Amino acid sequence: MSACEDGVVARAVAATDTDEATAAETELYRRFAPRVRLFGLKHLPDRSSADDLAQQVMLLVITRLRAGEVREPDQIGSFVLGTSRMMVAGQRRGERRRSAIIARVELYEEAVQPTSDLALDWMRIAPCLGALRERERTILLLTYYADKSAPEIAAAIGATAGAVRVGRHRALASMRECIETRRAS
Amino acid sequence: MSSTSTPCPSFGELADYWTSDIAPADAEQIEAHVFECERCARMLAEADRLRTGIGALARAGNIQAFVTDAVLNCLARDGVRVRYYALNPGESVRCAVWSDDDVLVTRLRGNFAGVESIDAEMRLDSGEQWGHTTDIPVAAGATELVMALPAALVRTAPQTPIRLTLRASDGSQPERVLAEYTFNHEGTLDRRTNSNDRG
Repeated sequence: MSACEDGVVARAVAATDTDEATAAETELYRRFAPRVRLFGLKHLPDRSSADDLAQQVMLLVITRLRAGEVREPDQIGSFVLGTSRMMVAGQRRGERRRSAIIARVELYEEAVQPTSDLALDWMRIAPCLGALRERERTILLLTYYADKSAPEIAAAIGATAGAVRVGRHRALASMRECIETRRAS
Repeated sequence: MSSTSTPCPSFGELADYWTSDIAPADAEQIEAHVFECERCARMLAEADRLRTGIGALARAGNIQAFVTDAVLNCLARDGVRVRYYALNPGESVRCAVWSDDDVLVTRLRGNFAGVESIDAEMRLDSGEQWGHTTDIPVAAGATELVMALPAALVRTAPQTPIRLTLRASDGSQPERVLAEYTFNHEGTLDRRTNSNDRG
């Protein structure tokens, strides 16, 4: 199942005729709940809201698949994204949906183990941040800690916004390579 | 496994998603791609952990960097305990770190006119190098650099004068010295005993 196209998994969920969580549902949850959560982290105020969003969206998607309401299962990614956008818009209108964490979600989450390649150890970040050139370290701190935009950073360090973006990309590439090296050793 | 209609963005382009200056249309483009591409979804999650990790390091006082007032304001907001020193070129200061400090910040004042980038070096009285960093960015008209050190690191420093030299990294050989400062480090002080631990 894990090697299937997303559409194959979606069709397998749609074909389910049991009330119990199936392998296809778990696989769909494993694939898309993290993406919905990332979307929520961008658009919602905190991590617990993003977690809630992931659960609500995936429950709705699975319910609609099983009800035959998803016309193009091969485009399931677009459907999940559209559902995420709709729910975030709803929350912004003050219609915060508070659904209980039901047993099925717990079953999905028990079945979805984090993969080791995602386990980014913060202890690896510190030496890699320390290994950067000072300019790049400053740019990353101002971007991701002080939440400053490229033009604001440019004004603070005497550079252009374009140079800040280039420096940020270079710093991130260095950080990623450094972290991968430390993870492998 | 999935197929996508758009090429995969670079890690840096994905990480832009987490910045405050990404255009809404660009964010939507990344979202559309990530919901079709599991590999890029993993990279976007990795970029999220990287940014949250950087924030966590700062909130823990574990930053060794030249920073701006924006970073200092965030440290203040986050309850990080910061001890400040300020020096003019050629000055020396008696300094210490307290047991409950998180970060030590020094405002290094000087004339940095016409300089875009600076290298900094710290040496112990013995001549041994204690720290070195390159390419400190300098804004036009800047009259100070703000150096932040983790208090945990300073607690490991020997009780001896430490000289900090700033040099213009403009390609001149030898590098042009802009300013020198001396920290007469007197160890770690404890508020409860109001004494230092020099024994």
